Amino acid sequence: MRQTILRALEQVYGNLVHMIAEFLPRFLVMLIIIVIGLLVAFVLKYILRALLGLTKLDRVSDDAGASRVLRMAHLPPMTELLSRSIFWVTWIGFILVGLSVLGVAGLQEQISRLFQFLPEVFVAILILFLGAVIANFLSRTALLAAVNAGHPSPKILSWSIRFVIWILAISMTLEELGVARRTVISAFSIIFGATMLGLAIAFGLGGQDLARKCLERYLGDTKKKEEKEPQPL
Amino acid sequence: MAEDVFLSDDLLRQLMSVGEVDLLVGMSSLHAANTVSHALDEIEESFQRNFVRQRVVIVNVGGGDNDEDSARAKGHDNLAEKGVRVPGITSLRTSHRVAANVPGSPSPGIALRTILAAADLLRARACAVVSPAASNLTPDSVANLLRPVYREKFDFVAPLYTRNKYQGLLARNLLYPMSRALFGWGIRELFSEEWAFSGRLAALCLNQDVWHEEAIQARPEAWMAISAMASDFRCCQAFLGEKSQATKGLGRDIVEVLRQTVGTLFWCLETRQSLWLDSGRSQSVPTFGPAHELTSDPTDLDRHRIFEMFRSGVTELEPILSSILDPETHSEIKSIVSLEEGKFRFKSGLWVRTLYDFAASYHHAVINRDHLVQALAPLYRGMTYSFLAEHSDSSPAEMETASETLCGEFELQKPYLMERWKAKVEVKS
Repeated sequence: MRQTILRALEQVYGNLVHMIAEFLPRFLVMLIIIVIGLLVAFVLKYILRALLGLTKLDRVSDDAGASRVLRMAHLPPMTELLSRSIFWVTWIGFILVGLSVLGVAGLQEQISRLFQFLPEVFVAILILFLGAVIANFLSRTALLAAVNAGHPSPKILSWSIRFVIWILAISMTLEELGVARRTVISAFSIIFGATMLGLAIAFGLGGQDLARKCLERYLGDTKKKEEKEPQPL
Repeated sequence: MAEDVFLSDDLLRQLMSVGEVDLLVGMSSLHAANTVSHALDEIEESFQRNFVRQRVVIVNVGGGDNDEDSARAKGHDNLAEKGVRVPGITSLRTSHRVAANVPGSPSPGIALRTILAAADLLRARACAVVSPAASNLTPDSVANLLRPVYREKFDFVAPLYTRNKYQGLLARNLLYPMSRALFGWGIRELFSEEWAFSGRLAALCLNQDVWHEEAIQARPEAWMAISAMASDFRCCQAFLGEKSQATKGLGRDIVEVLRQTVGTLFWCLETRQSLWLDSGRSQSVPTFGPAHELTSDPTDLDRHRIFEMFRSGVTELEPILSSILDPETHSEIKSIVSLEEGKFRFKSGLWVRTLYDFAASYHHAVINRDHLVQALAPLYRGMTYSFLAEHSDSSPAEMETASETLCGEFELQKPYLMERWKAKVEVKS
C-alpha cells in the first residue's frame, strides 16, 4: 500500500513538473511578447504624435470645439489623446496575444470574442464623442445666430438642436453595440417622427396666426434692422 | 514665381503686352456692373490730369467668363483710345486696361492676390486698390492715394474720410484704438475699400503663404497694413473726402462685419505676436490733406432696439460669455445689464477689458473662434448704445477728445492683455 501511495505521489509530482515545464516556456514567451508589445506601442505612440503634430490636428480640433469637450472631461489634447490611445490599444493587443499563447482552455475563446467586440466598442465611443462635439457646435451656432437675429426664444432652439443630435448619437451608439437594435430604432423613429409631426401641426395649424406674424416680422425686420443700426465701418 | 500657379494664360498674355508700368490701379468689379464703367472713366481722368508722363494700367478682377463687368471692362475702349481727352491736358502715355477673369466669384483676398501678382510682374512702383461701387471715387481721390507712394516713397497709404459722427463706430471704438495701442500705429481706417501700396510691399505680401486663410479671403487690407508695420515700411494716411455709404459687398449686418474685421484683427494679433506682445513701440502716422472730419447730420437710429438686443444677448449668451470673459469682467457686465435704459453706460475701462478678454480667449481658442467673434455682437451693441446716449449732443471736437481718451485706456490696459495672453487657460464647464 505504501508503494501505491508513493507511486501515486510520484506520478502526481511528475505530472506537476511536466505541467510546469510545459507552462514556463509559454509564460516566458508571453512575457517576451508583452515586452515587445510595450516597445512597439511606445514607438507607434511617438510616430503618431509626430505625424499628428505635422497635420496641426490640435488647431483643427480647437476650431471644431473638440478640444473644449476634451478639456471639460479632463482629457489631454487631441494629438496626445490619440497617441496615448494607440499606445494602449497596441499594448493591450499584444497582452491579449501573449495570454492566448498560454493555452488556457476557455481563455482563448473569451479573448477571441473580446477581439471581435473591441472594434464595435471603439466605433461606439467615436460615435458618442462625435455626437457630443457636433451637438455642442451646432447648438452654439444656432444660439448665436438666433440671439444676434433677435429671435424671441434662442435657448429653446439651441436646446432642441442639441437634444435631437444627442438622441441620434445615442441611438447610433446602441445600434453599433447591438443593444436592443430593433427596439432602439423603433423608439427613435417614433419619438423623432412624433415630435416633428407635433411641431408641424402645432405651429402650422394651431398657431397659423402666429406663423403668419412671424413670417411678416422676419421679412419686414431684415430690412428694418439694416436701417436702424449705425453703419459700423 | 508663385503667381504662375494661379494666373490664367490670358491674363499673363495681357500683362506681357503691357510691359513695365509706373502706376497700377486695381479693382474687383464683381457685382458692380452698374458702376464699373464710371469707375474706369474716373481713374482714366485721374491719370490724364495727374500722371501725364507715367506708364499706367488698370487691372479689373472679375468673376468667370460670363461676368458682364469683366467683358465690359475688357472691351471698353479707354478714354485715350476713344479720343476723349480732359480739356487742356494731353497724356503722353497710353493707359492700359487688363481684365482678369477668375473662376467663380473671387473673394477680396483672391482679387487682391491677382492685383499684387500683376503689380509684381509689371514692376509697378505705386499701386492702389479702389472699389467701383464707392460713390466717393473721383480723379482726385485716386491721385491722393497714389501720390504719397509714387512721389513721397511711402509703402502703405490708408484713407481718411469725412464721416457722420454716428457712423464708423466699430472703427472708432474698437478697430482704431485697439490696433493703435497694440501695433503702435494710429491708422484710423484699417479696414476700407481703397488703399495704396508700393511695389516692394506688394512683393512682400505676395510671397507670404497666407492666401488660404479665411481672414485674408474676407478683408486683406488690414493684414497688408500690419505686414507693412511689421517690416518697418513707411505708412501714412491720405484724405479722400466723404465716406461712401456701403451698399453691397461690405454688408451692413453687424455680425458679418464683426466676423470680417474683428476676426481678422484677432487673427493678426495671433500671427504677429512678436510685433506687439513685448514691444512698446509707438509711431506717428503722417497725414496728407486734412485730418478726418466729423459731421453732425441727423440720423434715424432705433436706440431702444439696440439696447434691447444688448440686454437679451448678454442674458442668453451667459454660458458662452462666462467661458470667454474674466469672471470679474463678466460680473461687471451682468451688473450693468440690469440698469435702466436711461442710466445705462458702458464705461471705457470695462469695454477695453472686455475686448482684451475676447482677444486672449481667441488666442487660447476656448471656443470655436468664429463663435467667439459672433458672441461679441451683443456687447458691441451695448457699447454703441452707450456711445450714442453719451454723445447725442457732443460736438465733433468733444467726440475726438473722447476717442483719444479711449485710445489711452487701451494703451493703459495693455499689460492686462499680455497677462491674460500668456496665462494658462482654465476650463469652465
